Order: sequence, then C-alpha cells, then structure tokens
Amino acid sequence: MNFTFTQDQLDFQDAVAAMLRSEVTADSIRARWSATDGTDRTFLKQAHDLGLSSMLVPEALGGLGLTTGDFILLAEACGEVALPEPIVESVMVVLPMLVDILDQGLGNSDVQRVIDGVLAGDLRVAVGHAINPCINYADSADWFVLSEGDNVYLLPREAVVLEAQTSVDPSRRLFLASFTTSAEYLVADGDAGANLLRASLNRGALATSAQLVGLSRSMVDQSVQYATDREQFGRSIGANQAVKHLLADVAVQIEYAKPVLYRAAYTVGVSPTRADFAVSHAKSAAARTALLASRHCIQVHGAMGYTWECDLQIWVKRAWALAREWGDQGFHNNRIHEWLLRKNALLGPEFTFGRGSLTDIAKSG
Amino acid sequence: MKLTFSAADELFREEVADWLNDNLTGEFAEVRYRGGPGDEHHFVTERKAWERRLAVGRWTCIGWPEQWGGRAASIEQQVIFHEEYARAGGPGRMGHIGDTLTGPTLLAFGSETQKATYLPPIRNGEVFWSQGYSEPGAGSDLAAIRSRAEFDEDAGQWKITGQKVWTSLAHESDYVFVLARIDRDSTRHHGLGFFLVALNQPGVTIRPITQLTGTAEFNEVYFDEAVCGPDDLVGAPGDGWKVAMGLLGFERGVSTLGQQMLFQTELDEIIRIAKVNGASRDPDIRQRIAEAHIGLKTMRYNSMRMLSGTEDGSLSREAMIYKLYWSSWHRNLGKLAMDVLGPDAELIENGPYDLNRLQSLFLFTRADTIYGGTNQIQRNLIAERALGMPKEPRGPAK
Repeated sequence: MNFTFTQDQLDFQDAVAAMLRSEVTADSIRARWSATDGTDRTFLKQAHDLGLSSMLVPEALGGLGLTTGDFILLAEACGEVALPEPIVESVMVVLPMLVDILDQGLGNSDVQRVIDGVLAGDLRVAVGHAINPCINYADSADWFVLSEGDNVYLLPREAVVLEAQTSVDPSRRLFLASFTTSAEYLVADGDAGANLLRASLNRGALATSAQLVGLSRSMVDQSVQYATDREQFGRSIGANQAVKHLLADVAVQIEYAKPVLYRAAYTVGVSPTRADFAVSHAKSAAARTALLASRHCIQVHGAMGYTWECDLQIWVKRAWALAREWGDQGFHNNRIHEWLLRKNALLGPEFTFGRGSLTDIAKSG
Repeated sequence: MKLTFSAADELFREEVADWLNDNLTGEFAEVRYRGGPGDEHHFVTERKAWERRLAVGRWTCIGWPEQWGGRAASIEQQVIFHEEYARAGGPGRMGHIGDTLTGPTLLAFGSETQKATYLPPIRNGEVFWSQGYSEPGAGSDLAAIRSRAEFDEDAGQWKITGQKVWTSLAHESDYVFVLARIDRDSTRHHGLGFFLVALNQPGVTIRPITQLTGTAEFNEVYFDEAVCGPDDLVGAPGDGWKVAMGLLGFERGVSTLGQQMLFQTELDEIIRIAKVNGASRDPDIRQRIAEAHIGLKTMRYNSMRMLSGTEDGSLSREAMIYKLYWSSWHRNLGKLAMDVLGPDAELIENGPYDLNRLQSLFLFTRADTIYGGTNQIQRNLIAERALGMPKEPRGPAK
C-alpha cells in the first residue's frame, strides 16, 4: 500500500481546492440558506467545467477514468469549505452506482441516458438508501436511485413524492422520498441489487468520512486564527496551554484519521462490496475526529462560538449531521466488532501488518 | 455525615411541593417546563405574572431576611425549594438575577436607601434585573473592563458610557447592574464602580445576539452617557471589584444546587425516549445512561457533603469544583440525548429552528463549559487557589 499521492493528484487537488476556497465562502453559504433552491448555479457550472462530475466515470463512457483514491483528496477539500451541494455524493456514490449497473448489463435505456446527462452537466441524480432517513438536496434532482428491499429503481422526478424536512444544519435541504414500485423503473434486484446497495453504503460512508476530515481541518484552522487574534490577560488566549492543547488534540486525531481514510479509499476503489471493514474504520475515526473538533473549537471560540454570526456554526452543524449520515458510529463500530468476532476472522499480526493483508481482507469481505 | 434532610426540612419540602402543585394550574399550566435554558425567550409575560404569583405565596427571595420580605430560609431549605421547583416543572425564573444576585449583593454591600429602593420591587416580582459584567474585550479577563462612569456635578448624576455583552434577557429587564471604570487612569481591578442602571432610558441601546440555536437570550447593551442617580453606586468609588466578586460568590452558591433536579428531569426524559424508540437496546447507550445516572448521583452526594460542612450557613471550598463537574456532565448529557434520538436528532419538527427540548439541551450545553467561567478558567482556579500551584504567567507571550 502506498500512502503517497502523485504530483498530478496533488496539483489537481490544489487547483480544485483553490477554486473551492475562492467560490465557496461562508458568505456564499449563508446566501444559499435564503436562496429558493439553496444552490449556487454559477459555482455548479464552474465545478462541472473543472471535470469534477466525470472524474470517476470510465473513459469508455466519456469520463476521466480516475480512481476513488484520486478523488479522495478533493472530497476532503469539499468538506474543508463546508460545500452544501452534494457534489461529493454525486461523484463518489451516484455515478459509480449507475456505471456498475451498466457494467453488469442490468437496467434499462434510462441508465445510459442519465449518465450522459450528468456528464453533460444537464442532469442531477440523488440517491436514497435505507440507512439514511432523508435525501439531501432532493428538490434539485432530476432523477432518483431508490430502493425497496434489494430492488433498486431509477426513477424520474415525476415518479417520486418529496416531503420537505428541516435540518439543524441550515445548509442541508432534506426530504423524505416515497414512490410506487413499478417494473418500468426497476434496474436491479436480488443479489445484484443487494451488492449495489452494499457498495453504495460503503461509497457513501467513505465520501462522508473524507468530508468530515476536511471539516475538522477547517475548524482547527479557524480556531487557531481566533486563539491567536483574541487577547485576554494581555496576550493571545492561544498562548495558554489549556487552550492550545485543545487544538493540538484535534490535530493529532486528524492526522491519524487520514491514513485510515486513504486506505479505505483504496479498498473501495478495488472492491466496494468488500470494503466494509476498512470503510467502517474510516467513518468511525472521521466522525470521532469531527465531533472532537466541533467540541474543542466551540470551546476555543468561547461565547462567540455559539453565536449565529460566528461562521464556525456552519462547520460544526455539518459535522454533527455528517457524523450520522451513512451510518453513525454505533453502526460502524458494530460492523467492525462483528467482523473481528467471526469464527473465521483473519486476526493476528500477519493480517494486520503482513504483505498479503489487503487482498485477504478484500477477499474475506 | 449528612445523607438526608431533617424531618422539619422534609415538612418544608411538602409545603413547597403542595403550593407549586396548587398554583402551576389554570393560567400557569402552560408555563410548566418552559423558559429554561434555550427556551428563555418564550412566555415572558406569563412568567413575569408567575413571579407575582410566587411573591403572593412568599416564594420569591426565600433566602432573604424576613425584614425584606424573605423567609430567611436555610441553605438546606433553599436547595429543597430549587429541587421541588424543578420537579414540579416551574418555569425559568424571570426574577432569578434580582432574587439571587442583585438582592444578596445589596444586602451585603448596599446602603439603606438602595435596599429600600430596590429590594421590595424584586421581592414582589415587579422589577426584573440583568447583569452587565462582560465586555467585548473583557470575558475570562473581567478586570480588562473599559466601560467608563463619570460623575456629572452639574446634573448630579453618574454618566455611563461603554458596551456590555452576553447580557441575558436585557431586552425583557428593567434594570442592569454595571461594572464600570470610574478612575480613568486606573487599571485592572482598581478604580471600578458597581452601578444600578435603569435600562429604559435614551442612553441605553439593546441589541439581541442570535445564538446557534437561532434564538436570542443574550444581548449587547450599549451605554451612551446613560444616567443613574448619585445613590446608585454600590459601595464606595473603587469598590466595584470587591462588590462584583462578592456577587459572583452568590452566583456560584446555592442557586446552582437545585438545578440537579432539572438535570434529573432531563435524564428521565432521555430514558423515556430510549425505551420508546428502542435506543435502550443498544449496549453503548445503556452504558452511557448508567454513567449519566452515576454522575448525577455523584453531584448530589457532593452537594450534600457541601451542606454538611456549613456551620455558618456559607458554602465550603468544595463548591469550587462544582462548575467544572456539572458543566462537563451536562455537555455529555446533551450528546447522549442526540445519540438516543438517532437520525431524528437532526430533524426539526416544527419549521425553521423550533427546536425540541432535547435539541435545545444539546445545543445549549455546548455553552455550559464556557459561560460563568470556562472549564479552562475553572481548572486554573482549582490548581492555583485550591492546590496553591504557581500562577499562570500573564502579559505578552514571548
């Protein structure tokens, strides 16, 4: 396993991160809260022009053919700016799922049409999953991937009934989605359907983990700045050990979450249905990190940290929400202990550290 | 060792419980369990009326001497009152600051004129107070106060100019006590005065601060030559710090003990929901509910220990550890509440930012470890004052 990124990957990440930082500001996020569809259309166009939507789609289908490992840093960057629109989910969950359906010779003519539409920047697709009660930004979607049991459906907007919900995070536009099952829209069932849903859960949890790590990093950056600028007792509050150590603790967690995240990205790229263990580890670590970041960063900001005016609330509320999305810590810790306590669990140093461990883990699921 | 209250105190408990039970009915039924942290902006008019009802029953200011309309209640009785009040779902007290801060401060430091002017309306639930300590540049470092007070000889009045912040419920209050600098050349805790200032006057502007809950219990209060009379300075010029610290002693005293009953009702609510929604089957949640219960009982026993140690009616040094303990416990309780709610934790039932009780609990407990002395300041106090450790260096960092 190689934890370094190539110069190309790093350069692309820098370019996207720079665009995100200049276009997705706290002010622009607040502007979305009062916009009818909560969307910055100019930004979406820019993101599309950069090639974000097509990154993980194979070249044969008109995409860039990159891997999950290539995209993971960009997902982190989207988290860092607390991007409201679900671009990361679209790239990492929706499109790979549609591509899987095509690859396996499943589905109907809509699948290819919808992929083309997304790559052209004309269509948006939202995905529902039993583990998430609501769908974010469902009102902006033209198509939906929804399921019932192991049956997976690709439905046009008019076949879905949406019911708006309000999130504690004003950036999230949540909807309950319901539909009447119909063979017309069925794209997979049985084992194939179950595998698609399992892969989606892992992809979704990975996408969320990356954003949680990015959110955490930004919260620390904001707090370092505040603790440096804010003076009490004649000096920066950050000069006090009690304050600076709060942030050092988060920084340590972030750095330890990263290799776990990148390893999960690798495994999801290789075999998304056999990545439960790696993904659950990443989601659990990322959620723990982001919750600690929220707690410590509010503390460092003092009373300012719980005002509406302070931009930190944008990040902490997202962290609280995403910590539960695609499975909360309880769910993911359960997947880990169930895997570890199986009769034929692959335990011992040869599997934790051995050269063959990754393939064994991938095989054993 | 004191593990229980005396028989006489238990009779007092019954009296309190009966009165509350009889009176939190009719027009006051709707304010039950309302107006607590995160909900303080609701039912303000009704809660002010409730203060007058309390006054009729002699249940305001029970710790005050009888001469000023109180009951001269012992600390035990005050704790019992707070406990029963919370158990009965008594609404957030609009008169809290006047009853537990302004009153005791005037009784300890005020002139006879000040007592006669300000105590009766507090006692009768007619006048409401707020607290003007923190400033934008003076939070943890309260002695960095910059608000100024000047005596205008011609008008025979004090004139106050400056800005206070995090002033709870100033927009619903009639008066504010203000710590301001009298001597322009003074620094730190020297040269300050403690003033009693009416809020309804041209020199005062109140601006609400919206919190991350979407509600605004706190305010910024601007003073632009706001006036108060020559008799409205408590203590001598330069005594402000002494008076202010005396007041903080009252704040950290008995009024915080009764809140454990409120905590108990919150924990009960969490357990109730966990049983209904199935979260109680989760082994992790079960462990954390047990830990929450253990923490609450520990607080309770420590409170009883504090009370055991008081011969003279004052609280002992064990009180120093209380803020750090309860704030951390309560913050964890907020997180437990969200994990018990599960996915519902994120969803707001009644439109934009009308949070339910547990969501308010979670968001508000994020602030528990900050206001009234942050956890970091509390640890410094324990280390430096209780343990006698060397003081943290102050002044510019190298």
